[in-house]
Amino acid sequence: MLFFPQAETRDKGIHMRKILIGIVLMAGWLVSHGSFAMISMELTRGVAGAIPIAVIPFQGADEAPQNISKIIGNDLQNSGRFKVASQPTDNTVIGKVQSLGNGRYEISFKLLDALQGKGATALSQHYTVSEHELRAIAHHISDLVYQHLIGVKGVFSTKLAYVVVQKTPEQTRYLLEVADQDGYNPRPLLSSPEPIMSPAWSPRGNQIAYVSFEHRQANIYTQNIITGARTLVSNYPGINGAPAWSPDGRKLALVLSKSGSPNVYVMDIASRHLTQITNDFYINTEPSWSPDGRSLLFTSNRGGGPQIYQVNLANRAISRLSYDGNYNARASYTADGSHVAMIHSVAGVYSIAILDLDTGVVRVLSNKSTDSASPSVAPNGSMILYDTVLGGRNVLGMVSSDGRIQLILPARNGEAQDPAWSPFLG
Amino acid sequence: MKLKQWIDVALVCSVIALVGCTSKHKPQDELAINDANSAYTDEGSQSSGLGEDTKFGDQQGTHLAANRTYYFDFDSNVVHDEDKPAISANAEKLAANPSSKAMLEGHTDPRGSREYNIGLGERRAKAVAQILAEKGVNRNQVRVVSYGAEKLASSGHSEADYQRDRRGVLVYLQQ
Repeated sequence: MLFFPQAETRDKGIHMRKILIGIVLMAGWLVSHGSFAMISMELTRGVAGAIPIAVIPFQGADEAPQNISKIIGNDLQNSGRFKVASQPTDNTVIGKVQSLGNGRYEISFKLLDALQGKGATALSQHYTVSEHELRAIAHHISDLVYQHLIGVKGVFSTKLAYVVVQKTPEQTRYLLEVADQDGYNPRPLLSSPEPIMSPAWSPRGNQIAYVSFEHRQANIYTQNIITGARTLVSNYPGINGAPAWSPDGRKLALVLSKSGSPNVYVMDIASRHLTQITNDFYINTEPSWSPDGRSLLFTSNRGGGPQIYQVNLANRAISRLSYDGNYNARASYTADGSHVAMIHSVAGVYSIAILDLDTGVVRVLSNKSTDSASPSVAPNGSMILYDTVLGGRNVLGMVSSDGRIQLILPARNGEAQDPAWSPFLG
Repeated sequence: MKLKQWIDVALVCSVIALVGCTSKHKPQDELAINDANSAYTDEGSQSSGLGEDTKFGDQQGTHLAANRTYYFDFDSNVVHDEDKPAISANAEKLAANPSSKAMLEGHTDPRGSREYNIGLGERRAKAVAQILAEKGVNRNQVRVVSYGAEKLASSGHSEADYQRDRRGVLVYLQQ
C-alpha cells in the first residue's frame, strides 16, 4: 500500500504551502496491484528485419492472475526486434503454469528452435515463485529469449524513473515515479507541490538522486528505492543540480552555483567533501561519468552556445567533443563507452542524437517532434529513453540506438518528463 | 479653448500614466494641473495643489512597482530598458524597508536541456537582482532561485507562449 505522511511547516510571518512528501513503504517491492500501467507503450515503428517468434498461451494459464505469455509477447514485440505471431514459427515459446496453493506457482517454459529439428529445445527453465513475482518472472523469460536470439542482454527486468506533472486549475502537483520497463507497477517515490527534476539511478539501482524544489530552492536528495528513506545531500545557496553517480557509487558529480555561476563539482557521498572540477563564469552543467570513472562529460556554453566537453578528473584537462550543430547538451555514454547520446539541435529543432566516438559521426535518432530532451541510455545500449512533446502533451519516448525502432510512452495520470533508465537490477 | 485643451491633455496623460507610460510626461501634468487650478482661485486666496495623495509621481511609482514580471529575449539575460523603471520602483520599496524580503525567480521557455535552462534562468534572475543592488537594495534581502523550464507560464508551444515563459519574477515574501 502507498502511505503519504503529510509534513506541514510554517515559518513565522511567512505563509508556506503544505508540503506533501510521499514515501513509499516497500513491503514487497514486487507486489502488483491489479497490474495496470501508468505509462502505456505504443510501438510506432519496428525494425524491418524483425525475427519471427511465436509465444503460445501457456498451459494452465488461468491458474495464475498474470498472463505470462502475454507479458512475454508484449516485451518481445515492443523491443521492435521481434515479430510476435500466435502460430508456431521457427522460434516458439511454450510454457506451463501450475498453482501450488498458498499463492505459489510453478512456471516452466521452453524456447523451441525449429531450425534445429522438430521439437528441438534451445532453452528450458522452470521456477517456483510467489504471486507478486509473476510479472518479474515473465520479464526474466523475455530476457533469456532476447539474449539467446539477439546476443545482447535484455532490459525487460529494468525500471524507469520519471517525473509526472499533474495540473489542475487550483494547483500543480509533481510526482517522482518508478515503474517497470513496460510501464507497469508505477510507484511514487515523492509527491510535491514544487518541481522535481533530474532523477539519477545509483550504479546498483538501489538509490535515486534527484533535485527537489520543495523548499522553494533547488536541493539534491538521495532516496533508497526499497525503504523510501531519503537524505538531503546538497543545499548550498544557488543552484544544486544535475546529480550523477560515479560508477563505483561512492561519489556524486553535481552542479553548484555558489561560486557565482554554475560549475561542476564532485562530492564524496560519505564525507560530503566537495572537489571543484570547473572554475569559470560560464554555464557548466549536466556532468556524466565515463564508464571507467576517470572523466566527465559536461555541457558548457564556453564556446558561445551549449556544447559537450570532456574533463579529465586527474589533470582537469578539458576538450570539446561536439562540433556538429549549434546546441548540444545532456550527454551520456553507452555502457561500452563507444557512443554518446545527447540533445542535438539544428535550426531550432531539438532531437536526440548519438555520436560515434570513433568516427565522430552524429546521427539524429528521434523524429517525432521539434522538442525532444533528457536522453537516458538503456543499460544494454540498445535503446534511449527521452521526453518529448506530442500533440501538445509531454510524453516519454524510446528510440533504438540505430533509430529504427520508435515507441511512445504517454502517462495516464498526467504528463511525463525527465526520465532515467535504471541499470541492470539484482 | 486653450485651457480646455490643456485639461484634456492632462486627463489623457494621467490615463496613460495609469497604464504605465514613461515618466517624461510628469512635468507637463503638474504644469497643466497648476494652470487649471490658478484659473479657479480667488484673488485673495492662496493657490494649492490637489493634495499629497494625488501626486502623480507617487501613483506612477505604485503602478510601476506593481509590474513584477520582466520578459527576456531568446537565449538572453539582458533586461529590457522598458522594464527598468518598474525594477527601480521596486528597488525603492525594498530599500526603504530593509527588513522586507523578496525572491527573484528566473524562468526559461521549455526548449532544450532542463538543467541548462536552470543555468539560463539563474542568469536572468541575477540580471534583475543586479539592478536592485545597484539601486541600494541589500543583497541579503533578495534570494535568487532559478526554475528553468520547470514552471512555465504557458502550456502552449507557440513563439508567443515561449515569450511568456522567458521571464524574471519578483515575489515579495515579507513586507
